[in-house]
Amino acid sequence: MTFAAAYEDAPRAWGVGRLLLDGEVKPWPVSQHDIDDEAESQAPRLASLGVGPGDLVLIVAMLSEAIHAVPLEKAAGKLGALYSSADATPSDAFRVAYLIRQLEPAAVVGVNGAVVEGLRDLGRDPAEILAAVAGHVATADDVACDELTRLGLAPRRWVKLGPTSAWEEEPGTLGYDQTRWDASDVDGEIVLTNTADRLTPCDRLATGVRGQVPRPGRIALG
Amino acid sequence: MGDPKRRYFSPEIETKPRERIERERDEKLLGDLLPWAYERSALIQEVWSEAGVTIDDVTTMDDFHQKVPFISKDTVRSFRDRHHDPYGGLLCLDPEMTEVFSAIFSTSGTTGDPTPAPYAGRGPSMLVREFWETGCRPGDHFVEMLFTFRGPGIHDTIRGIGATPVFLDHSPAEVPQLVRFSRELRPTAWYNLSGPLVLALEQHVADTGDNLAEAFASYRGVIFAGEPIGPRARHIVEDEWGLELFVQTGVGDVGAATECREHDGCHFWEDTCYVEHLDPDGAEPAGDGKRGELVATTLIDKIAPLVRYRSDDLVRVTREQCACGRTHGRLWPLGRKGDEVVVGGRSVLPGDVWAAVESVPETSAGLFQVIRTAREVDRLRLRVGYSAEGPKGLGDLRARVTDAVQAAVGVQPEVELVENEVLLRQGPPHKIPRVAKA
Repeated sequence: MTFAAAYEDAPRAWGVGRLLLDGEVKPWPVSQHDIDDEAESQAPRLASLGVGPGDLVLIVAMLSEAIHAVPLEKAAGKLGALYSSADATPSDAFRVAYLIRQLEPAAVVGVNGAVVEGLRDLGRDPAEILAAVAGHVATADDVACDELTRLGLAPRRWVKLGPTSAWEEEPGTLGYDQTRWDASDVDGEIVLTNTADRLTPCDRLATGVRGQVPRPGRIALG
Repeated sequence: MGDPKRRYFSPEIETKPRERIERERDEKLLGDLLPWAYERSALIQEVWSEAGVTIDDVTTMDDFHQKVPFISKDTVRSFRDRHHDPYGGLLCLDPEMTEVFSAIFSTSGTTGDPTPAPYAGRGPSMLVREFWETGCRPGDHFVEMLFTFRGPGIHDTIRGIGATPVFLDHSPAEVPQLVRFSRELRPTAWYNLSGPLVLALEQHVADTGDNLAEAFASYRGVIFAGEPIGPRARHIVEDEWGLELFVQTGVGDVGAATECREHDGCHFWEDTCYVEHLDPDGAEPAGDGKRGELVATTLIDKIAPLVRYRSDDLVRVTREQCACGRTHGRLWPLGRKGDEVVVGGRSVLPGDVWAAVESVPETSAGLFQVIRTAREVDRLRLRVGYSAEGPKGLGDLRARVTDAVQAAVGVQPEVELVENEVLLRQGPPHKIPRVAKA
């Protein structure tokens, strides 16, 4: 039992993460409920990337991305899978390569341009490193997506959409959880409102993601 | 509500009488940890078998000291490579037991390949005791400035004292956010500060003129970890920015030891580990307060237990009661055995030249490496990072660094100068390798 549970009121906020909105970093407190509910929401999306019972998924992210990455970690547990972690930096790319070789993950989430660059700086071929998980890689930015596509690895996009995540379901189209979020587009930008309870509410939050909402649950990028 | 004014997080453990600490520690080691590890760890079985020792031979602490063989990082790596076992034969449980494990993390990889470590943690770690000692209290914000590869143990520990973690990357690029979040959220503790971050904060001040004493006024304690802090950096952090530093060091990969508010050694918790400190070249105890090699045995890690693990860390150790009232042992990190060079019979550790390098303005970042081709060398070779060439060029700078080091250690060094960035790129983000082979 934690000290907080035994002696104190548990802190209302599980942690303070951040969102990048209009080019500015905004502190974003989330609750334990938010994390657990996001994990529930993300589990089927992680499963669609090929993660199942007994598997391991490697999550490549930064601690500042905790409000997006931790739900994926917990989602792995809901699927009966383990996870491992590496930083999404050039200097930690060696760990990405090492963990893929040693732990043979079923999927890798969060590869970004910095990691691809870091692998190259190590004298390693990203295509060779990631070949074992080809078709089961979700990228965190366009640089990595374009690069890994060029290398024939068929990556999917993992996009931070406000405080939740959206996943590429077919080329150029993202899926998000319409049971918890209401998305629409305003002047070519996706705006987001929470319909499930969240500690920090979103009320038509301008996410910075460019696209249109052709129907609930889908975003056409661009 | 609990009493936020109380001094200790777990007073009944932290101030337990020595006699009880030692009795319970020995019972846990001999009666629980050793039989568990011997029965399940392939590495322990191999090493003990080679030494002709079985668990039945170890029934007293004297037996433990006289018969139990040492292991080291090299022992673990050798097992890993020979048996193609990424866990080096240490695992006592199947890592695919998802009802037990949630994740597999890895060590920093500073001195070689990272070592994977299955994680079964649910809830706070023992660090709640030191996090409480920083002065952070329930309801406060606590800056967690770290990496992802060590897992969620620190988030859970911060929440374990009733505080809320504020997530930041352990990166120089995060300094503007750190300063901003410090002003907006007024956190009271921060884990952790490191040498590269001190440099980045200094650069931030130089670039912006920001007043960090004001920005950081809410902090009651900051844990400094990764590697030792040099005297110049300590002066800036403590005297100019007004932060109270709590130095933390590792306990042979089985835990951590952290200063209390007395700042007189780093407390290690003897309900979690058994610490020996021995002659660096042998097996005899080094003696209370004397320099020796830290040899650690876990008392609580049932997943991948290390038993008599020679850490390569040189430390002083005492079990005298601290002025803070805690009765557990304390240690002072002195350097790494593998970092020592002997030049003309004189022992030199990185810590011996640190202040000298910092004393020259252009190399004041204290970024340097000892070039160690062997333990005993003819010349002391240093690679030193500089921020600017200085008014008279690199030749003059090299001469000033050489003179400063010679004055400090009595040995004339051969100094190679490189730009600071060259050394910082050799990270991980919180430290640089202090020894290079070439």
